[in-house]
Amino acid sequence: MIEARGLGKSFNAVDAVRDVSFVAPDGRITGLLGPNGAGKTTTLRMVSTLVRPTRGSAFVDGLDVTREPLAVRARLGVLSDARGLYARLTARENIAYYAALRAMSPAAIESGIARLADLLDMKALLDRRVDGFSQGERMKVAIARALVHDPRNVLLDEPTNGLDVMTTRSLREVIRRLREAGKCVVFSSHVMQEVSHLCDEIVIVAHGAVVAHGPAEALLAQSGRTDLEDAFVHLAGEATAP
Amino acid sequence: MRPAFLTVLRKELRDALRDRRTALMVLVASVLSGPLTLVLLAQFVSGLEEKAASTKVRMVGSANAPSLVNFLQRNDVEIEQAPADYEKRVKEGRLDAVIVIPDDFDARFVGGEEPRVEIVYDDSRTESGPAIRQAERLLRAFNRETGMLRLVARGVSPDLADPVKVEHVNTATPRQKGAFLLFVIPMFALLSPLLGGMAVAIDSTAGERERGSLEPLLANPVPTRHIVAGKWLAAWTLATAVAAFTLAGFAVASTFYAQRKLSAMMAFGLPEWIEFLVVVIPFAAMTSALQMLICTYGRSYREAQTYVSYLATVVSFVPIVVIFAGLKDAAWQLAIPVLGQQVVLSRMVRGDALGMADWLLPSTIALCIAAFCIAAVVRLLGQERIVFGRT
Repeated sequence: MIEARGLGKSFNAVDAVRDVSFVAPDGRITGLLGPNGAGKTTTLRMVSTLVRPTRGSAFVDGLDVTREPLAVRARLGVLSDARGLYARLTARENIAYYAALRAMSPAAIESGIARLADLLDMKALLDRRVDGFSQGERMKVAIARALVHDPRNVLLDEPTNGLDVMTTRSLREVIRRLREAGKCVVFSSHVMQEVSHLCDEIVIVAHGAVVAHGPAEALLAQSGRTDLEDAFVHLAGEATAP
Repeated sequence: MRPAFLTVLRKELRDALRDRRTALMVLVASVLSGPLTLVLLAQFVSGLEEKAASTKVRMVGSANAPSLVNFLQRNDVEIEQAPADYEKRVKEGRLDAVIVIPDDFDARFVGGEEPRVEIVYDDSRTESGPAIRQAERLLRAFNRETGMLRLVARGVSPDLADPVKVEHVNTATPRQKGAFLLFVIPMFALLSPLLGGMAVAIDSTAGERERGSLEPLLANPVPTRHIVAGKWLAAWTLATAVAAFTLAGFAVASTFYAQRKLSAMMAFGLPEWIEFLVVVIPFAAMTSALQMLICTYGRSYREAQTYVSYLATVVSFVPIVVIFAGLKDAAWQLAIPVLGQQVVLSRMVRGDALGMADWLLPSTIALCIAAFCIAAVVRLLGQERIVFGRT
């Protein structure tokens, strides 16, 4: 479970995030939806302990991200905005490096990689160097790297950016399977369809603050629209720039 | 369970060794060029000695000076007729020095009218030096002999012309004479760790930032100090390895001269190799840590490469300063990084005895600087502007 309580972050007197609160329960997919620059990435970075909140706090399985960052990181699998791989290493070595840093045993690393290769349909890629990989192939490696330790909580920052239709579909499948396995999944996107397709809960973020929160139907009711896109534009537009 | 820093160390070493192009560059630039330099220098020096040893002069118009020719022949000097275009040849460096005798030499010599002799040379060519000095020396000797004979002929003691007797006593041991030549070994010993650690230092800091792998790396549940320590150990290992290879190259090269006159000068064998490494290994700890620190500020590989080359320039400047400033050994020099190592390594090459301070002071200071730099890198990687400030 991931919980954000009044998160705020200022960079040199500019508020990137003003006030973000939400609860993402286990076994649910929670989508952070908002236009570019709304503060989604910064919010996820605060949850993943890499950015220290200026105000408020966040909790992962009840652990405070500012007090116990290492324990929080151990419970998270993060696909961050930056997802660079080591070009001279093979896909398997890239994944195994992170697994070893998470103190997994060689046997557990091997079975973890086998499980994800199956799930992401990337067996043929495993022993090739990442150097010549396509965007979609790189993404698969990055996702496998983030999930190899079978984390209870998963953060995905704009995971479908730059992916073709086929890869996007298989990624959705992966996310659904994570939900079935009872994981807490939080993912950010600026694409309406994606969020409405996939998410149980939608958190609409605009200008660094949460403007609406709930399942798709609730948001429709709240905005008084019949179309989710209209509802999003209406709700996001209500919040004026500070 | 393997500590996290060892996991990082292993990954960085594997990654670095897969970079064939860089590996080859390091191999050629460092491991081969060192001995090559030494061989060339040694060839140059022995060439000088050979030129000086063979007493041979080139002359134009020797028929005009039978007395001088007679003197030279009595002194076992071989006389070679210079070709007519000698001036051109001297300019081109194909002739070192030519003694030119004018037509009226003998007439003036017999008449006591100060005949003139020219030595034609180009002193911008250092390799001509011995030949020029030899020609000069022979002419001066001829002058002296003639002068003596004339004094005796007039009933004057020749000692009057020589109030002070000068004798040469040279205290330099053969090994010290070679120190000039062996100066290059300390220089390579100090530069090779920079070359060896460079690729990993750049790739594991600015490289991680550039390719966007730093943020996910730091999201692992590992304290940043473990990650930095692993990267630093990888850079240090490669820096040390390259230095060890380079110096081994020198040791091997110097055995080629074991049978020659130069052998006494060029004592750089296994004991010296070990002594050098004792100084170079802590030094490599410092240079790799410094390289990592300055590269962490680089947002791209290229930017970091520029910063690293500044550091290399500073380090390579020190031996040059020592040569041209003519610094005399003093205790304070041991406390200055790079200079301290330079001083100690030079003493080893000269075969001087080393004291406790020589062994400990430069290395302790180097390790302290390394620790400071590593702590600074750990701090920097905790800063959002470094982790997220990408190009």
